Formats: sequence, C-alpha cells, structure tokens
Amino acid sequence: MNARQLVSLALRSTAIGYVLVLILLPLLVIGQQSLVGGLGRFSEDIVQPQAAAALVLTLEAALAATAINAVFGTLSAVVLVRYEFPGRWFLNALVDLPFAIPTLVAGLMIAALYGATSPLGAWLQRGGIEVLYNVPGIVLAMVFVTMPFMIRSLQPVLMELERDQEEAAFTLGAGRWVTFWKVTIPSVLPGLLTGLFLTFVRALGEFGAIVIVAGNIPMKTQVAPVYVYGEIESYNPRGATSVSVLILLISFAALVLLERLTRPPGERLPAVISRWRRSRPEPVAVPPVLPALRG
Amino acid sequence: MRFLGADRMSSLPVAFLAGAVLVSVMALLQPVAQTVAAEPRELILASYSVPKEAYEKQIIPAFQRFWKQRTGQEVRIRSSYGASGAQARAIVGGFEADIAALSLEGDIEQIAKAGLVAHNWRSGPQRGIVTASLVAFGVRKGNPKNIQTWEDLARPGVEVLYPNPKTSGGAMWDIIAIYGAGLKLAEQRSAATKGSPDAYATDLLKRVQKNVKVMDKSGRESVTTFERGVGDVIVTYENELLPRIKSGRPYELVIPAETVLIENPVALVDRNVDKHRVRDLAEAFVTFLQGEEAQRAFREVGFRPVQPAAPGAQAAMLSPVPARLFTIGDLGGWTKVEGLLFGPQGAWTKAVEDLARGK
Repeated sequence: MNARQLVSLALRSTAIGYVLVLILLPLLVIGQQSLVGGLGRFSEDIVQPQAAAALVLTLEAALAATAINAVFGTLSAVVLVRYEFPGRWFLNALVDLPFAIPTLVAGLMIAALYGATSPLGAWLQRGGIEVLYNVPGIVLAMVFVTMPFMIRSLQPVLMELERDQEEAAFTLGAGRWVTFWKVTIPSVLPGLLTGLFLTFVRALGEFGAIVIVAGNIPMKTQVAPVYVYGEIESYNPRGATSVSVLILLISFAALVLLERLTRPPGERLPAVISRWRRSRPEPVAVPPVLPALRG
Repeated sequence: MRFLGADRMSSLPVAFLAGAVLVSVMALLQPVAQTVAAEPRELILASYSVPKEAYEKQIIPAFQRFWKQRTGQEVRIRSSYGASGAQARAIVGGFEADIAALSLEGDIEQIAKAGLVAHNWRSGPQRGIVTASLVAFGVRKGNPKNIQTWEDLARPGVEVLYPNPKTSGGAMWDIIAIYGAGLKLAEQRSAATKGSPDAYATDLLKRVQKNVKVMDKSGRESVTTFERGVGDVIVTYENELLPRIKSGRPYELVIPAETVLIENPVALVDRNVDKHRVRDLAEAFVTFLQGEEAQRAFREVGFRPVQPAAPGAQAAMLSPVPARLFTIGDLGGWTKVEGLLFGPQGAWTKAVEDLARGK
C-alpha cells in the first residue's frame, strides 16, 4: 500500500466514522430504546389519542408549510437570481437569517408581530383571522424557519441554468409560462425537490418557534415535538421516544426518497426526472443543436 | 464556487475583524464565568426558577454571613435554576446538586426513587416544606369580566391561561385546584341538588379546559403570555402574581374562595452531599431556609410562610385566607391525585380528549 492509498483510506474512514459516530450511533440508541417494550408497546404509544393527534397535526402543518414555501420560495429564488434591483444584496443576505437566529427568538418575533397587542394582530383578529395560538401560527413558524432551504437549494441550479435554453423556447414560440413550466422547472427539478424535502423534514422537527406561537393545547394545537417534550417532562421517556422514532422514520424515508430522486447529475437520470423531460411536448423541447450554435 | 470569486477577497479583513471581536468578547467574559468556581467550601443548589430572586438577592448572602459568623468559613453557593422536573431529571442524570429545592413533592420523589435521597426528607417539623402559596387568578385591571369564582372561568367567552401539566408542576397545581374546588362546590350544592361531587368536579374541569387558549411550558411563560395581552384570566401561583402586581403590572389578584394550598419541598441529595463532604453545611442551609430570615425573604417575593404541622397555625398565614382552603393531602396525596387527574384515564386527560372529539 503506498502513501496515496493510505491517505485515501484515512480520509474515507474519517468521513465514515464521523457520520457513524455523530448521526448513526444516537439514532441506533433511540431506536433501540423505543423498542425496549417491544413493537406492541411502540404502536400503543403512537396510537395514544394525544400522540396520534399531535402527529397528524404536525404532518398536516408541515405539508402546508412545504406547499407555501414551494410557491413563494421558488418565486423568490427566481427573482433573486434573475432580476437586478436596488437592495438585492440585502434581500439575499436576509434569506439566511432564519437559519442564524435561534428558533425560539423566531417564535418570539412572530408572537410579537401577530399578537393581539400589535396593530397587525389586532387587525387580523377583527377580520376573524386567528394566526397566533392556532394552526396558521404553526404553519407560519414552520415557513419561517424553513424558508432558506427552498431559496438556497434553487439559487445555484438557477444560476447554472443556461438562459439560452429558455431563449430558444421563446424563439420557438413558447410563452412565458410555458417556458417556465416546461423548461425552467424541469431543469431545476433536483434543486426544487431538495428544497421541498428539506423543508418538509425540517418543519416536522421544529420545536422552538412553534412552542411560542402555537397554543400547545393537546389534540388541538399541540405538535409532535411539543408532545414529545411534554412526555419527557412528565417522566414518560418511552412514550416520548416512540413518537420521536416515528418522526425520525418519516424524515428518514423522505430523505432516502430525495436521494433516489436526485441522484448526482449525470448519465443515469433518476426515473422521475427523465420522465419529466420526456413528457415535454416537442415544440418546446430544446433542439440539441442549439448549444453547438453558441460556438 | 461563484461566491468565492477574487472580488470576495476584500471580505477577508472583515472576517478577521469579526473573529477578533468574537475572541475579545470571549476573553472579557472568561474571568466573569470563572469567578463562580474555585472556593474551598462549596454547596450546589438546584432550585426551580420561581424563588430565584429570593435566593440570589437575600437568602444566599444571608446564609453566607450566618455561616461565616458561626464557623469562620467562607462558603460559596453555586445555584442553578430551571423547571422543577428538569432539575429533578438532571440530578438523577448526574448533576451533582447537594440540595434540591423543587416545586413538587413528586419531583423529589423521582430523585429519591433513583436512590439519591436516602434519608426521610419528610421528617422534621416542616415536613420538608420550605415555601407555601395558593393557586389564584390574575385578571385584567378593573376585572372587566368580573371573574370571582371557578364557575366564572367556565363562562363562554372567557379566555383562560394555564400551562401544560405535562411540563409544568405549576399547571398540575392549577388543575388540582380546579378539581378540588369542584369537589368543594359540589359539597355546598349537594343540599339542594344531590349529585356526585366527582362528576361535578370533572365537568367543571372540562368546561374550564374548554376556555383555555394557550398552554405554555411553564408558569413563568404563561405569565409572559398573559402580559402580552392574551387571555382574560390566568390561573397560577399567588406568588407569581403578587410581586408583579406590586411592581405595577396592569392586572389584579383574585383569590377564589375554594383553592389549594401549594407546598414546595426541599431535600438533601444524600449521595452528592456525602461525596462532596458538605453534610453539615447542607443541613444548616435547609434549616436556615425554614428560619425567620429566609422566610421573610420568601414572603417578600410573594410566598406565604410555611405552615407548621400544629393545628390552628392557619392564623399565622398571610391574609386573606380563602374560606375553603384545602391541601393535596385532603384529596388523598400526590400519588393518588396524579393518577386521578393526569393518568391515562385521568380526569384532565379525558377532558382534553373529550373536547377534541367535540363531546
């Protein structure tokens, strides 16, 4: 074995060890703990009325937050990449803020903004819209903390995207929206999917912001992480672990799916993406000769 | 890699500057952070968060003077404050506190169950209790919704706050107060309308829970939410409300005629005390807590003095004493009440589930 192979081996084992020790090991421990009482106990914990209600609410709210971020995050990413306007750098810097500030602080900010004592909160309340201490507040908190995922996953792929493909589509008679749907979106699909899935799994686990803005009433406005916290606090570690493991499994399944869908760009395109590409109507498809013409 | 273009090199000095600022902030804080440690005689106190002010500003300095006078020794007390349950869990998990001053007997029991409290902490004239309080209402200034009784909390359109009993010992007291008050109210009524007191209490609990708007993690947070303008009435410790009202917050204290006497325990954590060889110090501290000077400090932050077990001692309590005050013992003790209200089939658990199903 020569020096180069040694270095490569050392690097690989460090990387593998790093991931194993920091991620897999804790996962195994919590997984094992959830099964101490057997699978029967595990499912019993999950179907507890309060646990089940919290899980359902969490999934629903996370899906809603993902949908909102899918639309507005994509739009924001396109605007930030494509359009020059004064203050764009500032807006771009703001995007990462939800990652940087403690989520508890994010919750406080939302509570202050939408609370009954703020003008906005009072105005919404007069209109019969209850944001705070209700489900919209939960979704809002999730949208806030996950916002960077969508924008930051899309920005690089949008920048890589050759504008001439879209220009070609224009030339070939496609309208703005057709081009957007049939050319832009499929090209940025890996980034889009990454953003969507990360948003979803991150929203599932959010605690700090939600615990401030949700009413946390069991079976009404209590999300799964808050339920888990309650079970830990009331000396029921097993119930807490079971629900945690279920959230973990859902997140893990989502991430594995994402991995399958967005396999590294290159020869073997994942099934979904190539199907997207194939289903594009002919007139809009970019003729392969075009890049060559750029010369 | 686009972000790392040559033009970005100019940001290097900025990064250095930021790094320098960070390092100097750490350097400045370091000595402050270290002053806590390194003293010959040291006692570690783990307390729930509410009495922090009393301990920090008065009791600990007073005890230090007292101990110095008696033995000539300097004593340093490292204190940690947090949710009662979290403190109990931390101690069980290895936090080497010598003294646990918590809000619930149940939390001390958890430490005892783990084998860390060997002696009978309930012995002694005060039965291991250092502070007392009541469950009371905080209402908006002028009491616009005229809230006086527990039934008023169940009125439609009244928004109620108390924290989640799963995370807050305070909330357990609150819910115990509702349920116990329900029993007392049923006794009064039973002359006219004969019915099961339990059924009435369960129903009252359900109707009040229906009006609950937010359930925070702790009593403190619940007060913060109330101060943010949410809710018409907050159910919490009298000692949470008193000092805040005294400092000019725009709300008022209402003490219902039926309410529960809250008692907060303290115990030596024997294993840690022996390990640190501070038994004499720790025992002196606990005795000091029940003494006149410490009790005055607790009173100043809104607690009621501890009740000696002797009968007729209620008169010593601060007025007003509610007409039908009851204790956890009257309801059958902690273990029984926990199952009765918060267990899987408990009255509160059922109330929450029934409300969600629209029953």
